[in-house]
Amino acid sequence: MGRENTVEEALNLLRSRLCNPSFVFKPLSDSPDSNYSKLKFIISSSVTEACNNSILLLGPRGSGKIAVLELVLKDLLLEFPDLISVIKLSGLLHSDDNCAFKEISRQLCAEHQLLFSKMASFDDNSQFMIAMLRECGLAHKTIIFVLDEFDLFAQGKQRVLYSLLDAMQSVTSQAVVIGVSCRLDADQLLEKRVRSRFSHRKLLFLPPSKEDLQRLLEHILSLPVDSTISHDYAVEFNAKLQKILADEKFKQIIITYMDSDATVNHLLRFLFRAVSYMDLGSGFLSLENFKTALSNIQRQPKLECIKDCSILELHILVCMKRLEVKEQNSYNFNSVMKEYKSIRASFQMSEYYAWNICLRAFEHLLQRELICFTDNRGQNQSVEFRPAKLLISSHELQQGLKSYRSCPAILLKLMDREV
Amino acid sequence: MAPTSASAADSPTQSAPDTIENNLQPFFVLHKASSRKSEKRSAGTGKTRRRIDLSPSPTKKTEKSEECDEQHRFEQLRMEAFELVWSKIDSTIKDVLRGINTNVFDEIHRWVCESFNTIKSFGTPGIAEATRAFPIVTDASCKLLFAGLVLTKNMEFVDDLLTFEEVGLCLKSHGCHVANLSSLDFSAKNGIGGCLRGLLRQFLMATLDAADMSILASWYREQENNNSPVVVIIDDMERCCGSVLSEFILMLSEWVVKIPIILLMGVSTTLDAPRNLLPSNVLQQLCPSKFVLGSPAERMDAVVEAVLVKQCSGFSVGHKVAVFLRNYFLNQDGTLISFIRALKIACALHFSMEPQSFILGGLLDEEEQEGEKSGLLPEIILKNAPQLPLYVRNQMAEQNGKSLVHGLSELKGLHKCWSIVVLCLYEAGNCNKIRLLDLLCEALDPDLYTSKASNNVVLENDCGLPITSDRSMRRKYSTSQKGGLISQIIHKVRDLKAATLYQLLKNWEKITMDVPEIHDKVKELQSEFRFEDGKLKQNVDDISKRHSSLSPLNSEKDSKAISEKAAALLDSLVGDFFRPIECIPFHEIVCFKSVEKLQSALIGDPRRRIQVDLLEFYKILRCSCCSKSGNILLPSMHDASVMYTLAQEHGDLINLHDWFQSFKTIVLRPSKKGKPKLKQSPLPKKRKDMNESENKSEASIQARFCRAVTELQINGLLRMPSRRRPDCVQRVAFGL
Amino acid sequence: MGKEESPQVTRRTTRSSSSATVATKTCDSHPLTIKDLVFGEDPISLNDLLSSFPGRRIQILELVRLLGASNSPMLPLFIYGGSSSGKTSIVLQMFRHLNRPFVYSSCRTCYSPRILFESVLNQLLLHRKDAANGYLSAKRCERPSDFVNFLREALSNVINNFKGNSGKLGTKKLVGQADGNMVYLIFDNLELVREWDKSSTILPFLFNLYDILKMPEVGLIFVSNTSPDTYYSNMGYMEPIPVYFPDYTEDDLRQIFMKNQANRKLYSSFLDVVLRPFCRITRRVDELSTAFLPLFQKYCEPLHDLGVVPNEEMKRRLFSHLQPQIAPSLNEVFKVSSQSSPAAESNKETKKKSSRRKLGVCAEIDELDFHMSTSAKYLLLSAFLASRNPATLDASLFDSMGGIDSRKRKRKSSQKSLEKKENAEQELLMKGPGTFPLERLLAIFQCLTSVAEGSIDEEEQGDEGVQGGDGGLMSDVLLQLSSLCNANFIVKGGSCPLEGSTRYRSTVCEDMALKVARSLKFPLSKYLYRR
Repeated sequence: MGRENTVEEALNLLRSRLCNPSFVFKPLSDSPDSNYSKLKFIISSSVTEACNNSILLLGPRGSGKIAVLELVLKDLLLEFPDLISVIKLSGLLHSDDNCAFKEISRQLCAEHQLLFSKMASFDDNSQFMIAMLRECGLAHKTIIFVLDEFDLFAQGKQRVLYSLLDAMQSVTSQAVVIGVSCRLDADQLLEKRVRSRFSHRKLLFLPPSKEDLQRLLEHILSLPVDSTISHDYAVEFNAKLQKILADEKFKQIIITYMDSDATVNHLLRFLFRAVSYMDLGSGFLSLENFKTALSNIQRQPKLECIKDCSILELHILVCMKRLEVKEQNSYNFNSVMKEYKSIRASFQMSEYYAWNICLRAFEHLLQRELICFTDNRGQNQSVEFRPAKLLISSHELQQGLKSYRSCPAILLKLMDREV
Repeated sequence: MAPTSASAADSPTQSAPDTIENNLQPFFVLHKASSRKSEKRSAGTGKTRRRIDLSPSPTKKTEKSEECDEQHRFEQLRMEAFELVWSKIDSTIKDVLRGINTNVFDEIHRWVCESFNTIKSFGTPGIAEATRAFPIVTDASCKLLFAGLVLTKNMEFVDDLLTFEEVGLCLKSHGCHVANLSSLDFSAKNGIGGCLRGLLRQFLMATLDAADMSILASWYREQENNNSPVVVIIDDMERCCGSVLSEFILMLSEWVVKIPIILLMGVSTTLDAPRNLLPSNVLQQLCPSKFVLGSPAERMDAVVEAVLVKQCSGFSVGHKVAVFLRNYFLNQDGTLISFIRALKIACALHFSMEPQSFILGGLLDEEEQEGEKSGLLPEIILKNAPQLPLYVRNQMAEQNGKSLVHGLSELKGLHKCWSIVVLCLYEAGNCNKIRLLDLLCEALDPDLYTSKASNNVVLENDCGLPITSDRSMRRKYSTSQKGGLISQIIHKVRDLKAATLYQLLKNWEKITMDVPEIHDKVKELQSEFRFEDGKLKQNVDDISKRHSSLSPLNSEKDSKAISEKAAALLDSLVGDFFRPIECIPFHEIVCFKSVEKLQSALIGDPRRRIQVDLLEFYKILRCSCCSKSGNILLPSMHDASVMYTLAQEHGDLINLHDWFQSFKTIVLRPSKKGKPKLKQSPLPKKRKDMNESENKSEASIQARFCRAVTELQINGLLRMPSRRRPDCVQRVAFGL
Repeated sequence: MGKEESPQVTRRTTRSSSSATVATKTCDSHPLTIKDLVFGEDPISLNDLLSSFPGRRIQILELVRLLGASNSPMLPLFIYGGSSSGKTSIVLQMFRHLNRPFVYSSCRTCYSPRILFESVLNQLLLHRKDAANGYLSAKRCERPSDFVNFLREALSNVINNFKGNSGKLGTKKLVGQADGNMVYLIFDNLELVREWDKSSTILPFLFNLYDILKMPEVGLIFVSNTSPDTYYSNMGYMEPIPVYFPDYTEDDLRQIFMKNQANRKLYSSFLDVVLRPFCRITRRVDELSTAFLPLFQKYCEPLHDLGVVPNEEMKRRLFSHLQPQIAPSLNEVFKVSSQSSPAAESNKETKKKSSRRKLGVCAEIDELDFHMSTSAKYLLLSAFLASRNPATLDASLFDSMGGIDSRKRKRKSSQKSLEKKENAEQELLMKGPGTFPLERLLAIFQCLTSVAEGSIDEEEQGDEGVQGGDGGLMSDVLLQLSSLCNANFIVKGGSCPLEGSTRYRSTVCEDMALKVARSLKFPLSKYLYRR
């Protein structure tokens, strides 16, 4: 009973760690040349020197840009409690100028205990922002603008960026604009007038090195020995964990998993899955968990779809593939049916399926997105005339047919024969 | 006589206007009613007007003063008569149509109840579950959406709009919640939101911009009335946008347990229509069952039977009109609506043209109060009986109102007989699908009768009950027109099975109930029937099977004999009572014959009309300036017509530049030679376009040109330049 | 049932008609509480869950593990699998089993961003649209940015609420009290979002919602019937954890159909007959069940009591009885039952008979089972021809009467070399019926009517016939055309018919056209190129 609870507690701890990036990125940030320290230095300097500044944090998705930034900001807020106010925008939400300014002024109001009017117009909000910038500048208060998905702000007229950066040109103001983007060419997207006002300081976030990875795994997965969790259990757990981490097979798993995408969050998803497979009975992680997690998280959707197909749908797929082999530049359901009929004739297949049944199968394939229409034109034309194409390579189809249980041999033959 | 004719010739010109207004009232009412060909019809009746008041015209010039108020009284009377008659006809038609649909409606209602019960059997969630966002977890079969496909057997769906409203009302009266959606709600532009909004508007009388099913669910549950089905009627499925409709259906099928929605869709063509319109995964969600409305032909026959054959109102149509109506129904658009409209036009024309037609009104309300003194036709008839030109037409010797009254009653009697015979024929005919409309056309044909009558001179005036109607003549008759439907029917009757024959006789008995002389014959034939094979009468219903049990030959024989007799009877009926309305004196009063006017009023093709009017516009705007100039184009003419006349020279490709040049020359012409002429003859007209020709600049001409071109285009006579030939417009040359 | 239906119907109508009573009725619906965020009915055990979904054991267990214990946070899940493979039901039942608060919104019912947002907020704010609040949502919210703000506060309210409850939960466990302080947002039918016009912004937003909110107490679950790779767009996003529901195998299907069957033996013998052939076509439960329902009734027809345990020879008999039915039902997608109840059926029959007896039905309508006016028919035919024949041949086909041009046409077709014909019909397969401008249609129409005049004449007696024939047929062609378009026999592209740009295309299938031609006694095949 007690055992149960401890195991559950441990599991919860691990899961909450995996879901909490700021915990994950802690260890990576202590080294002096880490992005963390660079970023912290830049911001704190611009806060202390009361100057304007702008930075771009670039790096692939899930490489912890935001997480590191959060860490930095947290520390800085502790450091200079009343000199900093942070405004966070996301390109996904505030890419259009109107609601961007609205959001900015909303957060500013929230920061400074002013009441915010929803009715305020675009100009009011922008005026308000500039005024606030000036005020804060005079009060030697730094406003830090965090623009997540920076590249999305660079769409359209870029008025938000322009007015922000333009306001920062004035000496009185005192703000830091931090753009976060996964597009490495984010600054190339800027207009000239914006780019000229933007300082081209960039921080590049790279995937962790091997030893970083090791440290990370250890950091995340090992239980704290000094906590509510019973001491000896934690020790035992960690010992087992060490064994697994040292295991070559495990290393192999990690490598095979990470070579598709080496970012930390990618790893986290894998670990989350593995941890959630942990056997509550024994209460320890095992290599099996990681294996199953790998098998479950690395999927081949197209193959699965092919496995789901019925025999008739497979027939249609094969017919389409044969048509493609015949270099028919474009084909539609009618020509597929023609092919199907010819095949049936030539191989004396017993079963016969009516036109509408085949059409239904065709529509199933469309829903599975194994095939699609080549163009969206001709909506008013009926389905059977719209040109279609396969979304799977003949190799995938080949593979799928092979792995299909009880796949009729004739289909494989038809696949192989290139006539 | 000469002066009368002369004055008669010129009388219309001055006396036309005043008569026309009140004369043509019904027309103008009609014009507003039927939108499409209105301008055509008004134009078409242009000719009609002059003809109309020819008939009273000789009397008109005699004494002018009280003549006109006489006229006015007549107009009033006719108007009233028209109102009376038409309302009668209209109500009859409505009843007939309703009668046709009732049992289909009952089926539909039964089906709705059953499917509602099946839905309820899946479970009836309370308000808490029903208004949840997540669906009630059930197996796949519970997501089926019951859909009734109502086959309206007509490609044109206009007839059925009314029908679907009535279905809705019928279901409402049985306590269902009903919403009528049309294809307009399923447009691709408004998308799924549009039709949901429409749905909510009808159910909870509120227009919400964010409409979704949960609203409907909470509405349905929070009313206490959640034990009645929700029926959504889509009256024309084919016209809906397929994608939106399928979206709608899928959405409904998600909610069907929470809101027992039942679809009712009108399919105007075939059952393939839903298959073609909807993808398979949508069809999958439907649990369809089909209902069949009466086909337009059936309805048509029902209407014809009620209105034209059995004389709901005294009004009837002549042979040619009937033929025309039939062709119009078959060829033009086979909608009952248009048929009825045609009928109405005919009726109106009749009452506006035929001076004596008011008598019909009298006849009608004589029928209304039955039993009183018969000869109570309003004494005006008697009063101005002498001036009824109808007397002049069938020149009888001395005549007075008495004989007129008698003649009218006789007319009614004869026509009744006729209609009964027609019905008998129809009864006999429809075992092999003879359509009443065709039958009517033949039955109304006067020269059949005359050809028949030529053989024996007996029945000219008193054919009420002809004496020895010799078989030889009728034989000849029935053999003479081999192609004729009637003879066909008679032949068919000869080889009828006994059972059907018995049935037929019974029907005849019903039909002929109130004309004794025919009724007796039928009776006697029936009795004879009974007498011949006694076993037939005690159990007639299973006649057929015991028929098979009988030895073939004698059954054959006696049934043969009977059917012989029946055919003979029918033949004799045709011979004796079969007298088309047009061969009965005084029929002008009740019968409308002039098919040309009807045709011109009904179909005239507007396109041709537009072009004709453009070419000879001065007939319409009778301006002094252009009418005399034959076909020389004058600047005072309307630009569009000038342009169109010019366009006649070109082929179907018109070079814009040349066109403009010729237009310009014409427009500018008078300013060239108009100036000197101004001194001596300052016609107001001339001066007008003089001083407008002063400021007539290139630009203004171009503007006028463009406007004219667009006008022509809007009239559908032109097509704007294409990319390939930017300098040419194309004439859309059809219609003329 | 039907008869005891009617009285309550009448009672209800009277009640509904009086709006005052309705108003009183509306207020009795209890206000929503925090409890209404859980599934509501009493939780079911894991075993019930597993047993109620045959063939889904693996997926269910995996889901349970991924959702984890009551308070443990969770990364977003992405559940996908073919349609009718039990995704939604399983997720919902799962939450019934776990008895945790969740917010469900299907992107099918919520067909636009605004409605989606508002439905989520309504559920979180425990708001129910009803007559009292004019069926309005709690918050009007169209933009993602507003949605995030509202969502944050709503969620934090709910979560604090739970925290408070769980605080005093030690003392007394309320009934229907949710476990834990996690709140799960379920987005169903996600694949539909891709068709929304704002999809390019909404989809990334939804997938990033977890990172945007940064609330560990929120679990996101996406349900879609297309695999995650179909969501990749130029702008990437954090890929959620995939959980795959494969389609049912044949054995699974057997178990599913065997579930809650009255006579299992009988039904299994039935399945032995039908399941395999049908599985070769489709393995979707819904399609199969609709196909099996009538078949099983047919199968049971010879039996008088359905309780019997079929022995071998009975099975054989039943099979032989069913055998002829299988092939047709294999090949039909959309079965329209003519009537719902036998009573109605018989009644309908009588009515049909009576109508036959009373009103004649002309043969033409019988074979072409709906009514078209003659001119519409000719128009249809000419549209058909215009779509099928190459425009270049019109002259040679229509310049004069049948005999000559038939010979001419024959020569043409003989001249056609084989392969040209080959790719010509390939073209027909590909492009379908061709398009044509209005003029060409009308020209052909005039030709046809002029050709057909003769036939019309003898069909009509009287000279009006002719006038009614040609001038009549020609008169309101555009009207006919529009009604043909309405009936989907002719589809037309774009703008008004007077503008040059519109081209028409006839979509009638060949046999339909032939039917029409037959009803007119019109020699269609003579004018049809390549016949």
